[in-house]
Amino acid sequence: MKKNLLILFFLLLNFGLGFSQIKSNERLVYAASYNMSGLMTQLAQVTISTETVKTTKKNFLHLNLEATTFSKWDSFFKIRDLYETYVDPVTLKPELYKRSMYEGGYSKTEKYIFSPDGRKINATTRKKNGSETKKTVAIGGSTRDLISMIYKLRTVNFAKYNPGQTISFLIVFDEKEYPVYVKYMGLETVSAGVLGKRQCFKLSIAARTDKLRGKDKNLIWMTADAKEIPVLVRFSIPVGTGQLSISNASGI
Amino acid sequence: MMRKVFIITSVFFAVIGIVFTILPLGTIAFLPIGITFILSVISIQQSKSNQKKLPKLILFISALTFLVVIGKVVFVKDVIVPDKQFEQNKIEQKKEDIKDLQGL
Repeated sequence: MKKNLLILFFLLLNFGLGFSQIKSNERLVYAASYNMSGLMTQLAQVTISTETVKTTKKNFLHLNLEATTFSKWDSFFKIRDLYETYVDPVTLKPELYKRSMYEGGYSKTEKYIFSPDGRKINATTRKKNGSETKKTVAIGGSTRDLISMIYKLRTVNFAKYNPGQTISFLIVFDEKEYPVYVKYMGLETVSAGVLGKRQCFKLSIAARTDKLRGKDKNLIWMTADAKEIPVLVRFSIPVGTGQLSISNASGI
Repeated sequence: MMRKVFIITSVFFAVIGIVFTILPLGTIAFLPIGITFILSVISIQQSKSNQKKLPKLILFISALTFLVVIGKVVFVKDVIVPDKQFEQNKIEQKKEDIKDLQGL
């Protein structure tokens, strides 16, 4: 009986590992451009990477997003943004989320510690003037942070979806919970920089927030394979439009 | 009268062109530079032989800024300069994160 339970446990574990296709030591680099008078101007480099972090109790997958302005922009508007999440390597459920932003002199750091049942976060926010606020925010059990949502999206098998079909997520951002809707728009072949021309799943992102603008104006193209690598992102925000295009990929 | 209007607007766009050239805006600077070029050529055509000094200067500025932009596009690459403070911050933050994760 004990042996059977062990076999069942390992089968379940393998099933779980198969579900998550996010590997450790993956590094994707993007060039972020902003639309100025109809011309795209490269502003920053965005790097998303993963690594395994071990503690004495358990293993975590560290998801990291870093945005850095190109040196020519540093004197005018320096950006050093860092978004980090430590997630369960199998379920990608966030346990610790951190955001450290520096944008043109403005800085802010945030830390969310997710409760084990995922129904609340202990949020600590520190602003440039040194003021620190701590509060507990009640969230839904499946609510994630922005970074783990992006990675979770990559584990969805869009090959089984029909164009127009939508899935939803709940994310917590700036200590508020937002529903995010992802609409599958079909297959499209796009130029994916170092990866060449690739057939991609085209997805439209919508959220009940004033941070995103327009209908089907915020789009992600992810390779239509098991890895589902985001290769192109187009966004429309209140101050304009821009895009992120992949410039390097390793560990995929 | 028209000559003055062309000269004033060409000076205005020349200033914008210089600002855009200094800022790392890439080829966007060609827009005000191109307008300056056209307006200064028109100003030269509308000026008498003894009034061509200023529009010629504006034309020269537009040509110069054009060359500077071309030079910047060709020679200045989009690079990330290693930021020691940022990297050090990340290392310290990670140590703190491990402490937080141990407590989870």
